[in-house]
Amino acid sequence: MSTNDPQQQMIRDAMQAIAQRKPGKTKLVYDKTKRTIVAVAEGSQTPRALNITADDADMFAVATVSSVWLRQNWPQLLAEGNVRCQFSSWDDGDALTQCNLGPLPSASVAQAAIILAGGGASVDDVTLRIDLKPIKEAEATPSDFVAPDGTWYRASGSNSEQSVSTIFADVQPELATRRSGILETTILADKSVLLIGLGTGGAHAALELAKCGVGRFALVDRDRLSVGNVVRHPGGISQVGRFKVRVVRDLILEKNPDAAVTTHVLDLNFASKEELKKLIAESSIVVCGTDNRPSKLLVNQLCIEANVSAIYGGAFRRAFGGQVLRVRPKVSPCHQCFVAAMPDEASDVEISSSSDAADIAYSDLPVAVEPGLSLDVLPIANMVAKLALTELLKDKPTTLRALERDYDAPWYLWLNRPEPATPYSDWPPLSESSDEMTINRWYGIYFDRDSECPVCGNFLSNIAANYGLNLDNFSVPQSAAGATSMPVPTED
Amino acid sequence: MWTTEQRQRLYVEHETLQREGFTQFSVYHNKDNDTYYASGYATSNSGRRYGLYITIPSNYPHARPMMYVTDPLPLLMSDGRRLAALGLSHYMHTLEPSSNGMVQICHWREARWHSGIMLFKVFLKGHLWIEAYEQHLATGRNLSEFVGTMAETA
Repeated sequence: MSTNDPQQQMIRDAMQAIAQRKPGKTKLVYDKTKRTIVAVAEGSQTPRALNITADDADMFAVATVSSVWLRQNWPQLLAEGNVRCQFSSWDDGDALTQCNLGPLPSASVAQAAIILAGGGASVDDVTLRIDLKPIKEAEATPSDFVAPDGTWYRASGSNSEQSVSTIFADVQPELATRRSGILETTILADKSVLLIGLGTGGAHAALELAKCGVGRFALVDRDRLSVGNVVRHPGGISQVGRFKVRVVRDLILEKNPDAAVTTHVLDLNFASKEELKKLIAESSIVVCGTDNRPSKLLVNQLCIEANVSAIYGGAFRRAFGGQVLRVRPKVSPCHQCFVAAMPDEASDVEISSSSDAADIAYSDLPVAVEPGLSLDVLPIANMVAKLALTELLKDKPTTLRALERDYDAPWYLWLNRPEPATPYSDWPPLSESSDEMTINRWYGIYFDRDSECPVCGNFLSNIAANYGLNLDNFSVPQSAAGATSMPVPTED
Repeated sequence: MWTTEQRQRLYVEHETLQREGFTQFSVYHNKDNDTYYASGYATSNSGRRYGLYITIPSNYPHARPMMYVTDPLPLLMSDGRRLAALGLSHYMHTLEPSSNGMVQICHWREARWHSGIMLFKVFLKGHLWIEAYEQHLATGRNLSEFVGTMAETA
């Protein structure tokens, strides 16, 4: 049959339209009388059941190969004729994704080989083989692969049962293209974010920043992911038992494979102060999502000393709302100023685990674990990420800089519901309020720095001035060991 | 071990005690092991004397100092039992005692402590605890019935 046969041309057009999942001028139907597939004009009346759709035609498994990995291994491929690798096998082999693309392989892994023409003699033991054949550049399509020497190759994959359609993924350029509409593609690649506390909120903020293209992360947390965490945390049931820093690292790399991520299983206290100080000094910004005051105040102190801005986010009990504090050292109020100015607000924290409860209980009176819904934590985490992003873009020419004007307050308040026995319990319903405060809105709130703050202000010099003290000549009464007349407490 | 700013802070704490009417208390530097503590005797309204001793942690003022009743020792409850034996007690506002049986007063819980709180306020809370303790001795009721858990103020 001639290739100029109109029926053949229509079938070809229809097949291409189906492959590209685009509407075409013709469609394929099964002709019962001819007992074969024919192409008909789009408007033709045919029984719907006999129409062939893209889903009907979607019969090949798909293998996705990392272009970056293949370019890196090209010398070996040239030298040996083939190179072996592994693919995650998803959905009974329907999708095969090269393990090198991301950090989280599937439970089932397929052994594979990528083979140059003639180099497949020694790869009979693999499940998946992908043969590369050189083609002319003029014939190349976006689905073909260009080798480091500029030669174009077309891939044909197969396993023991069927042909496997092969896709080459150049991950970073493709991700950058998706961000480029709103954010200049690589603008955040050199920025480093230190995230302290990787519970639901901290982990979510980390992933949002990864999706924005932040290039470097340092993750600090002491806890492992528990089964109970999974209902809220981005980490899933398959990750239970792992340290949260490692779970979140892998989730970040799933979103931004080129990110540099370091993990630190660290309890925040005086003993870890020096390590924390070093991490802060290396960071563009610090995001603190811990749920207790001592750790926040420690981070605050070190960030002020290092002159690094920090964002503190947290949910109130049972996540009925939450707050975010942005601290620009010596410019806006620090967390110590916040504690001094609004002690109740600063102490209302979500109690999401038994260790949080134990920290707060402090005595023989138990405190209930009262975690909130992920749904109610995420607005706060989103705000944390947005404020962090705004800070990271401060010295960058970007359209998002306009947010600097709007995010001008140091403290942001959000309410998910009018919790009983709180100052917010009688807020009006959304439908009845025009300019009163309501739930589900962010409120930016001003308050002043405390000029006498012991962390960012002149606490000591102010008292010294009031009492006429000379701080250069500091001394207190001396006492030799055992010299006091009073019995003293001893520790084990 | 101690930063200049910490030593200046402790000097200011000592001078503040002297200037704010807490002259019975002082901050001391133990030159033998380069540690600091604050101590002195508080006198209750009934005229009884109580020794108060505050250990200064090495990350003071960012960490909460611990305050003990050193005298009388042992400190007894109204029923004659040793108060230190209760350990952590919400109803008596006490934390873990020292290993030699001195009662630790819960003045600020760890989660509420911040570096803006000065030692004279800690001693002030010590005074309040002592008054409540004496009410406990007189009535047999829990100490928490005389001093509630204080709402936090700056």
